Amino acid sequence: MSSKKILLVYGAGAIGRGFIPWVFPPKDFEYYYVETNSQLRNQLNLRKSFTAYKTTASGYVSLEVPILKCYNLSEEKEVINQVHAVLTAVGPRNIIRISESLTKTQFPVLCLENDFSVPQTLKNATQNPNIVFGIPDVITSNTAPPQLLEKDPLAIITEDGVCFIDEQVSILGGNAKYISKKEIVNQWLAKLYLHNTPHCIAAYLGSFTHKTYIHEAMQNSLVVTTVSGAMEEMKSMLLKKYDLSQDFLNWYCEKELQRFQNQLLFDPISRVAREPFRKLAPNDRLIGAAELCLSCGILPSNIFIGIMAAFCYENPQDPDFAIAHLMRALNPQDFLKIIIRLRPAEALYEALLKGWDVSISFLRSLSSQKVVSHEC
Amino acid sequence: MNAKFLEIAITSAVKAGNTLLHHYSDVLDSTIKESLRDVVTKVDKLAEQEIVSELMRTFPDIPILTEESGFIGTARTSVLNGDEAGKNLSQYWVVDALDGTVNYVNHIPFFCVSIALIQNQKAVVGVIYNPMLNDLYFGTIETGAFKNQNKLCIKDKPPEESLFAVSFSGKGFRGEGTEGFAGRKSDTMQRQEEFLAFGAVNDSSRGCLRTGCAAMNLAYLAEGRLGGCWGKANKHWDIAAGLLLAELAGAKVQFSLIETTKHLAHYLAATPQTFEYLEQKTKAVLSY
Repeated sequence: MSSKKILLVYGAGAIGRGFIPWVFPPKDFEYYYVETNSQLRNQLNLRKSFTAYKTTASGYVSLEVPILKCYNLSEEKEVINQVHAVLTAVGPRNIIRISESLTKTQFPVLCLENDFSVPQTLKNATQNPNIVFGIPDVITSNTAPPQLLEKDPLAIITEDGVCFIDEQVSILGGNAKYISKKEIVNQWLAKLYLHNTPHCIAAYLGSFTHKTYIHEAMQNSLVVTTVSGAMEEMKSMLLKKYDLSQDFLNWYCEKELQRFQNQLLFDPISRVAREPFRKLAPNDRLIGAAELCLSCGILPSNIFIGIMAAFCYENPQDPDFAIAHLMRALNPQDFLKIIIRLRPAEALYEALLKGWDVSISFLRSLSSQKVVSHEC
Repeated sequence: MNAKFLEIAITSAVKAGNTLLHHYSDVLDSTIKESLRDVVTKVDKLAEQEIVSELMRTFPDIPILTEESGFIGTARTSVLNGDEAGKNLSQYWVVDALDGTVNYVNHIPFFCVSIALIQNQKAVVGVIYNPMLNDLYFGTIETGAFKNQNKLCIKDKPPEESLFAVSFSGKGFRGEGTEGFAGRKSDTMQRQEEFLAFGAVNDSSRGCLRTGCAAMNLAYLAEGRLGGCWGKANKHWDIAAGLLLAELAGAKVQFSLIETTKHLAHYLAATPQTFEYLEQKTKAVLSY
């Protein structure tokens, strides 16, 4: 009988497949996956393993990851009593779909999701008190460059990042960094506003440069200027509103800019820009971030451009593809009121409206390549 | 792809909705049409004009069936010459600039704009806009149905856990030369059948509402707020968009155009779990 701990991982995407094996390595852990993408699921079950890559200063290091089995959602019930812990990396919109299988369980559940409220939602739905938040402080692509995909079509790349996890589940072990709930909050604030906000702005602006990957978009000087500007705006807000140190924030910003420019990562713009409506939710990384800046007396002009770029994001394959139709169909006032749910008296509504034409013109010029691009 | 149709339908619906909202507090006069409950205001006509202008400007060759003006556009003559409204048209718009006029004139904030595009006798684009709540429902057969930012999906619960809605006809219908209700000559037996069905559903579920706005009933079914709705001899423009959205969101839909010159239809739309129940309860009323 194996002495390895068994993990059930919901989501075999970027974090689930690309990052988790580095945090909980195959020498100590075995993995069941749950994945609704049937093509990916079939491939995993056929090959029974995949190759995870990590970028380093000199290139890539690889890790062969064997898997026990990949289930479709709800089929995993047959093994749920065998697992030591459950990890979720499915996206906040899908979290409630997995709650049925976890009802009344007792084992640790680690939510590696981009929404701080997910563990509480899942606790309420499952009555399992042992559900905590984890922060993958890393960028993980959901694919890999052609030369690596040739060797293994399931290959996937991550950076060398850290996984911060609530110390309540430190019994899990692995290579994670277990920290207190207070530190988790600080890390989350930094991640949400210094990573998530500028990262998605890079993606939305990048979509106008007709590039495929984030690092390619970050070769355009106007994209870099806007992304760095948004980061500065968020940094000012975090300094004013939260008790985070200047040094920590400076270090975090520098680290993030380097990440976005990592030429080994091949992080698709379409992945980072995915579901613009979710990112435009009132308390999320764009509208929520801009509101916080305004409440601190900071005019977030770079974030405004990022918001406009999200409004104009056009990808027929995206679940939120309708945003493009709505932008074309509605005038700015109606779009902000009906779709973004801003009230005409709000400062953000007024500010977005005031800068509307200038932002649109900026995005058009970015798209038509009239803007001179400088290599970084 | 129906993307362009969808976008213009949304533009038109929201423009008209803004007009309804603008005049909401100053609606003073209304005129009775075919029954006491079938009324029209100047705002209905104003909003309808806005929709028609917008649609005609972009799609001048597509006829428009409207509540207040009948068929508009190139098909007008042929339709007026025959009574098979819309039957020979490959595509046409169906527009209700204000569904829930009685609510509107009584300052009950439950009304909407409804626009559908029919192609080969089947709705392919639907938009419903409730300007009081800024709720925009829209969809196409290719993309599914949405409300504002979110994809719509019915909530499939058993009848005893579901809320229903009915839209009674102001007129009733048994065939050509039908007699009417609500202030006109009445067919008591037919009306009793409708009330019996209403009572049967009302007493065996979370309840049955008569909201005065069939389009919103269907939008609420699509959104998962209602478990089902039905109507007898309803006007096509009240339900065309809503039936499409409900179907796209997962509802089962039965629709029958029973009278072509007046554009009357019976319909039943419900979640898979409630459909049969509702079909049984309304069988005596909705004889197709």
